[in-house]
Amino acid sequence: MGKIAIIAGREFNERVRKKSFIITTILMPIAFVALMFVPALMMNISGDDKKEIVVVDQSGIVAEHLQPSATIEYRLSDDPVEKIAAENQSIFGILLIGSDVETNPTAVQLLTYESSTINIESEISDQISSIIESQKLKAYNIEDIDSILKAIETPISLRVKQLDQSGETKESSSILNIALAYIFGFLIYMFVFLYGNMVMQGVIEEKSNKVMEVMVSSVKPFELMMGKILGIASVAVTQFVIWVVFILVVGGAAMSLFGVNDMVAAASSAAAMDPAAMMGTEMPAMDQELLSVIKTVTDPAYLFRILGGFLVYFIGGYLLYAAMFAAVGSAVDNEKDTNNLQLPITLPLMIALFVMLSAMQDPHGPLAFWCSLIPFTSPIVMMVRLPYGVPGWELGLSIGLLIVTFVATVFLAGKIYRVGVFMYGKKPTLGELIKWSRYKY
Amino acid sequence: MNELIRVENVTKQFAGHTALDNVSLEIPRGSVYGLLGPNGAGKTTLIRIINRITAPDKGQVWFNGHLLSPEDVPHIGYLPEERGLYKTMKVGEQALYFARLKGLSRAEATARLKKWFVKFGIESWWNKKVSELSKGMAQKVQFIVTVLHEPELLIFDEPFSGFDPINANLLKQEILSLRDKGATVIFSTHNMSSVEEVCDHITLINKSHNILSGSLSDIRRSHGGNIFEVDFRGSREALTAALAAAPCTLLDTSASDDEALQASAGYDALKIHIPNDEDIRSVVALINDNASLRSFREIIPSMNDIFIRAVAGNL
Repeated sequence: MGKIAIIAGREFNERVRKKSFIITTILMPIAFVALMFVPALMMNISGDDKKEIVVVDQSGIVAEHLQPSATIEYRLSDDPVEKIAAENQSIFGILLIGSDVETNPTAVQLLTYESSTINIESEISDQISSIIESQKLKAYNIEDIDSILKAIETPISLRVKQLDQSGETKESSSILNIALAYIFGFLIYMFVFLYGNMVMQGVIEEKSNKVMEVMVSSVKPFELMMGKILGIASVAVTQFVIWVVFILVVGGAAMSLFGVNDMVAAASSAAAMDPAAMMGTEMPAMDQELLSVIKTVTDPAYLFRILGGFLVYFIGGYLLYAAMFAAVGSAVDNEKDTNNLQLPITLPLMIALFVMLSAMQDPHGPLAFWCSLIPFTSPIVMMVRLPYGVPGWELGLSIGLLIVTFVATVFLAGKIYRVGVFMYGKKPTLGELIKWSRYKY
Repeated sequence: MNELIRVENVTKQFAGHTALDNVSLEIPRGSVYGLLGPNGAGKTTLIRIINRITAPDKGQVWFNGHLLSPEDVPHIGYLPEERGLYKTMKVGEQALYFARLKGLSRAEATARLKKWFVKFGIESWWNKKVSELSKGMAQKVQFIVTVLHEPELLIFDEPFSGFDPINANLLKQEILSLRDKGATVIFSTHNMSSVEEVCDHITLINKSHNILSGSLSDIRRSHGGNIFEVDFRGSREALTAALAAAPCTLLDTSASDDEALQASAGYDALKIHIPNDEDIRSVVALINDNASLRSFREIIPSMNDIFIRAVAGNL
């Protein structure tokens, strides 16, 4: 055990001090945040660039009610289309509204110089249809029509609560579940692949460097393999912990900055009141969703389930696959030869990724159920199911199977490794690898 | 029990060829044991079997009187022919890492390493990366790492490759002083001059067979063919005539350049073959009577000659 710790320590120190580790550790969360905020930022920037549309209204009822939006400005004109087109080259387009627009829904045309976008089109058609709707309503001569319309407006926000075995209800948010399922499932896939590959490359390096030959008199090959696998695992866990801390700090800062805490307080006091009072608070739909997300995320039991599950499945899945990567690495002389040997490793990982995508739609279906028990896919698939709640026995069975399988895999990979690291010059087939695992020393 | 390692009837086959065929040898404790042979003879395979990297198909290896077991491997230090160091690691850190894996504490390892680094004059390398070192420099580091934990058995595979004569000599002295401290050294090479300088015993392996084994002096004597060189002052003809009746034969009477030089200084030389050791005294006495004898010595063939003759099958 002492030697495994020394080896793992070297792997850890060497890799954590590498520039590439420091850079990816810092850049990943930044890239992640950028991925979320840059599109919003871009929208703000493009918002300054308003598109001008000249409106030719033959019906005479629409044009005056058109309201400029963040991206579109309207200008009325009575000139014929040809004249407008000739005089205005810098405008975005010309909107033609037919005289029979009230009865003929196809009487509206947009002529543009450049290709238009879905946003602009729906913005214009929504405005015109609501203008015509209110014109038609006015024709009925109902008194106070505006205040009636306002009073009947009722946006519905569905609050989902989940019943657990003890009959208690818990706030549950599908958006959050999907997001977490996706992020954590994908993170496990990525980590297993990335760090598993790191193990394989490390083994190939040691073999082609002949470091193995030097080590053989002081270390058992199995110790070397386990030391490498565990050392790299601790690198991965370190990276993950740094990210979690980063997210908590940045998230916490953002929360206090945007006064989310006040919102949570308001919501919980509102929840304490009767439902009728709740209706009165007129919480907009989006805030309601956000609120249940925040309440779920700040629930320690939920957090523990997700993060704890992630660590267990990440470590289990990583050990399982890293041992296989190590066995493949030991069998070859250089990285080029790994391709066909890697297939039995990458195939189940890819399958797990596809099952994960379908399990996000149906987290308790038979495919998701079985794949969350099979150890080669369970680390990824179970992560998708965890946010939705998984019965204890399934979780226990899945973890138990994972542990049994990785112990067996590590044992088998150790035997292949033992033979492989001292075998030079020929490219083994899968069949030979299996034969190696039965060699005696 | 005088031997540290006994190899008994070891056979190892790889797909298609036999690397070792029924090889037996004994490595005396405290000796420098030369494992010689042309490329591909099976030397490295034998070393790997002693190291327990591979297992023999047939036969056994005994270590210290018991069958070689995994527990013996920590008592072996192995310097492979190709350098086995992490290229991106710093020299000192790396040496420390290997030393700790060999069971030394961090403090003990650091102290011993510093001593070796000073001895080899490489203190300034401590913080260099291995990739910055030349082949010979890396070899020095690797040598230190191999011997640092003072194992009972040291195995060096071509230790002098990549060394200049000065450093090769330094290494030679260290190997000999390690032997004097009680280590047994196996020394695999095809560089014969280094064998003559450091080895006590040798085994010559060719085409997977042990074709010659024994102590270096015995081997050279037994392959010397009892040829002696006589330097003398006096009449060559008189001596030749006198020796004609003695129990010896004259060889190669034509004078070489060297002999011509000696002749000009008043000396002459003869090569004679004396088949029986018992006759040496009488032959010397005879020479003494007929000329003034300056020197009389056995011509011992170089290991190089023995090696080439042995491999060619003309022993």
